Amino acid sequence: MAALLVDETTHEAPRQNGRGGSTRQRQPWSHVLLIILAAYFLIPLWWLVVASTKDINGLFTGAHGPMWFDAHFNLVTNIKQLSTQNGGLYWRWLGNSFLYAFTAGVGATVLAVLAGYGFAKYKFRGRNLFFAMLLGSVMVPLTALVIPTFVLLARFHLTNTIWAVILPSLLNPFGVYLMRVYAQDAVPDEMLDAARIDGAGEVRTFFSVALPLLKPALVTVLLLSVVGTWNNYFLPLAVLSDTKLLPITVGLGAWQAQSTSAAAGSQLWNLVVTGSLISIIPLIISFLVLQRYWQSGLSLGSLK
Amino acid sequence: MKRSLAVGTAAVGLLALTLGACSSGGGGGTSSSASSGGGGGTSSSAAGAAGSCTNKIVKPGAKQVTVWAWYGAFEQVVDLFNKSHNDVQICWSNAGQGKQEYTKFSIAVEAGTGAPDVVMLETDTLSSFTIRKALVDLSKYGAADVKKNYYDRVWKDVSSGDAVYAIPVDGGPMGMFYRKDLFDKAGITTPPTTWDEFAVDAQKMRDSGSKALFTDFPTNGGAYLQALFAQKGSAPYTYTASNATDVSIKLNDQGSKDVMKYWQGLVNKGLVGTDDTFTTDYNTKVVDGSYAVCLTAAWGSGYLSGLSGTDPTAVWKAAPIPQWSASSPVQINWGGSTLAVTSQAKDKTAAATVAKEVFGTEAAWKIGIEKGAMFPLWKPILESSYFTDLAYPFFGGQKINQDVFLKAAQGYKGFTWSPFQNFAYDKLTEEANAAVVQKTKSTDDAIDSLQKAVVDYAKSQGFTVK
Amino acid sequence: MTNPTVTGAHAALPVGERTPRAVVALNPRVGHDRRRQRFGWAFVAPFAVVFAVFLIAPLGYAFWLSLQTKTLAAGTHFSGLGNYKQAFSDPLFLQGVWLVARFALILIPLQMLVSLIAALVLDNLTTRLSRFARLAIFVPYAVPAVIGALMWGFLYSPRFGPLKSLFGLFGADAPFLLSPQNVFGGLINVVTWQWAGYYMIIIYAALRGIDPSIYEAARIDGAKGWQIATRIKVPMISSALILILVFALIGTLQFFTEPQVLRPVAAGSINASYTPNIYAFTLAFSYSQFNYASAISFALGAVVFFGSYAFLFLTRKKNGLS
Repeated sequence: MAALLVDETTHEAPRQNGRGGSTRQRQPWSHVLLIILAAYFLIPLWWLVVASTKDINGLFTGAHGPMWFDAHFNLVTNIKQLSTQNGGLYWRWLGNSFLYAFTAGVGATVLAVLAGYGFAKYKFRGRNLFFAMLLGSVMVPLTALVIPTFVLLARFHLTNTIWAVILPSLLNPFGVYLMRVYAQDAVPDEMLDAARIDGAGEVRTFFSVALPLLKPALVTVLLLSVVGTWNNYFLPLAVLSDTKLLPITVGLGAWQAQSTSAAAGSQLWNLVVTGSLISIIPLIISFLVLQRYWQSGLSLGSLK
Repeated sequence: MKRSLAVGTAAVGLLALTLGACSSGGGGGTSSSASSGGGGGTSSSAAGAAGSCTNKIVKPGAKQVTVWAWYGAFEQVVDLFNKSHNDVQICWSNAGQGKQEYTKFSIAVEAGTGAPDVVMLETDTLSSFTIRKALVDLSKYGAADVKKNYYDRVWKDVSSGDAVYAIPVDGGPMGMFYRKDLFDKAGITTPPTTWDEFAVDAQKMRDSGSKALFTDFPTNGGAYLQALFAQKGSAPYTYTASNATDVSIKLNDQGSKDVMKYWQGLVNKGLVGTDDTFTTDYNTKVVDGSYAVCLTAAWGSGYLSGLSGTDPTAVWKAAPIPQWSASSPVQINWGGSTLAVTSQAKDKTAAATVAKEVFGTEAAWKIGIEKGAMFPLWKPILESSYFTDLAYPFFGGQKINQDVFLKAAQGYKGFTWSPFQNFAYDKLTEEANAAVVQKTKSTDDAIDSLQKAVVDYAKSQGFTVK
Repeated sequence: MTNPTVTGAHAALPVGERTPRAVVALNPRVGHDRRRQRFGWAFVAPFAVVFAVFLIAPLGYAFWLSLQTKTLAAGTHFSGLGNYKQAFSDPLFLQGVWLVARFALILIPLQMLVSLIAALVLDNLTTRLSRFARLAIFVPYAVPAVIGALMWGFLYSPRFGPLKSLFGLFGADAPFLLSPQNVFGGLINVVTWQWAGYYMIIIYAALRGIDPSIYEAARIDGAKGWQIATRIKVPMISSALILILVFALIGTLQFFTEPQVLRPVAAGSINASYTPNIYAFTLAFSYSQFNYASAISFALGAVVFFGSYAFLFLTRKKNGLS
């Protein structure tokens, strides 16, 4: 943490606010705004944290209302119950989400970076047509694609397997768009030409010149792909029926449906709430890990 | 930098895989471990596209039949079956409850692959699937063997002429659960037996200063509302799978209109609530004293006892559902499920065996009744003294079957559903909500609009509407 | 800076030797450049393969489905554009389109404003508060919609939510934010909460790519903080902004997840055809009318197409897509 601080401040030193020449950042209004925003975005999550510490009765008849803790701190019991419900199925779901999100996330980012770079820096025949198709294809809602995708996967006997979720999730048209825009702005053609003149092939140029410049964009797309796949609900719901393969979203959704249904002994609210809280933590960690890469994109100035 | 990112990600992915493997192997309990066919990927055994099983297969050489069902404590019933059968084994998974499972099944039917061999279907959805040729006629697979174990009307609900499309499992005869302690406080000494008395008692409860509403009238009740209408003579559909393109629709009969008007009266007087059913709000209100009465089916006992936020001083009792006419009572039913064999089943004989026999023993039913709060339609246990004398602790030891539900089940005359029931339910919810909650139209108009909408829809779907 | 519209061939020659086309055609180096341009396909190919298999092929099949009609009672028959005629005269579809259009008009500016201001402020600060705020604004995006809906179901609940106590302080009755009158606003709140962080991250990353020496130059010229923000930063990331706006528009017109998962707790307000996408979903998975559902989806796609291309056309100078 300290290293990060040092890194940032040395980078940040030239970037002062516009008022006077002071190096200390006195921007009270900005801080007030940030506090308000942070509060707005965090209050529902605060509810989640508090709710996870309650047992199932406390959720509904809590002593101090929904936003404050009960007398009885039940978090540890809840977590223990998570591990015994359905034989620890929750952790299996969490593992599945990891698998899908990181495999598909990394894969989608690789495809998006390559394609975005290709669109941005090369004028090949059919480029504009293909790009228009790309934009057009996301206009039809995915609802229409469920059955055809299912049929397609079934033809290759891939339904109800991990590939049923991973393969379609490799598609991130928005990521391709983003990378194209970033690549256009952040990778100067002169640098590419310089490398080419030096005798580097296209691939080498890409890896040694373009990729370092695209780091903040790449990290952004990676983060968004991972989160997008992690949070995907409808695709796994449609193509998976084996409860052991479900990601955490579908699994918790199933427990939630069970808790509102009429079947006997099915109330799992405390698990749904605690499970939701735990499932957010990996993404928060990913964000914290990846955010450092946003700092180092400054060095090779792109837009002049 | 990207390399270290890649390494880091791979490490995380590896961790995830180990995490997954650990929890499945070391998870303990009764429900771990995949089938002998292999882990989380496609199982090349007869389990087919439905994947690995939640339960254990004890006879690996036998034919495997995949089953989708969401019964409570079903795994124990499956284990019982697998232990006692050498030639057939059940591979069960819970593919979701109600609509979730139906969505998955619907996709599989449309895609022509991915359906299980046996599927749990509520009685009101059968026609929607027979019309898509998704279910097998079990009369060719020995359904007649078990016919004697069910009441005629129950059998009629799963048949169409000579064809039998599902084996009945459980039912939902309706009754009334009430809070005796709240009744006592309000000075209501005996529970109401007619709807007139019901209205009077509701008023009495309000007048006594009780904070509780008498009961709830959920406009999204769907089959619940349909049952209330049926009690006053509504029989809206005439439809058989053998004559699949003809349907007659009479939703706007006087009985339905009368029932709607009755409940609107109670709502307008502020005596009953209009919460949607099966939401978290409703699930707590029903047990914490916000409502004094819960009109529900026999499986409601399991539902109520499983809810949280229960008022610990509550005293729940069961009574027969109020009647429109004390001299000619009409029994009604809400819910109830069946097991059907799908047309995608590879070995239909084995699948039929499963459907016929999984809930065909006393031992299986004892599990279903005690752990799953199911109401059996299987005569040997339904008419046994075990079931008649069963005391339910939630009701303070009351023998609710003896007092309420056996009679309700015996008196139930059956019901015919349409092959587009989802559409009909959605429209009913909209119209009931418009009339009773939003008060933008009268209940009569709402029922008439419902009739028109459903008739138009049926016609647009190619049915000949009589 | 390199003008992105300059072709690769020109850029290969030293500045000052931008030669007319005829000469370029005869230049042997140009042939080399053409081959190099085709390398672009190599970069795009991996994505193109997955795209063709998992998007184009299913789209094609879905379109073919939409050209047929299958009724529950009768069988399937080819009906050409019959489904589309029905869709564009279907009051449920048209009402849904009107709803999502209104939604887009209100939600998108609101969301963009919040995200943009947040990103600009965060770009300026490096205090611990700013880093914490950045995380705080992002986290809602990390919450899956299913869980978010669960949370909002509880928070909006007249019984369990904090609104009751909050309004009770003022002696007023808490409004039910999922009632038919309020559900529009209730959904706007949920979506803003869920997605503002997503857009903020993208804008923020774009801002990080700007060379800070530009600000130095501007400050020397006497520009103040907010002037730098509006006159320099925003124009420089305009291509990213427009990109986000287009995708936000597409996403909003296809509005599905949040109302669908909130339906169980708002049965009176959110019905089976609340948005066109929900209507398509209901048709397919509740009523088993897959062909008509497909047609509705493509009809919605057509609406989205016109909406986005109109928007892109209006912003064609700034969108960085040449």
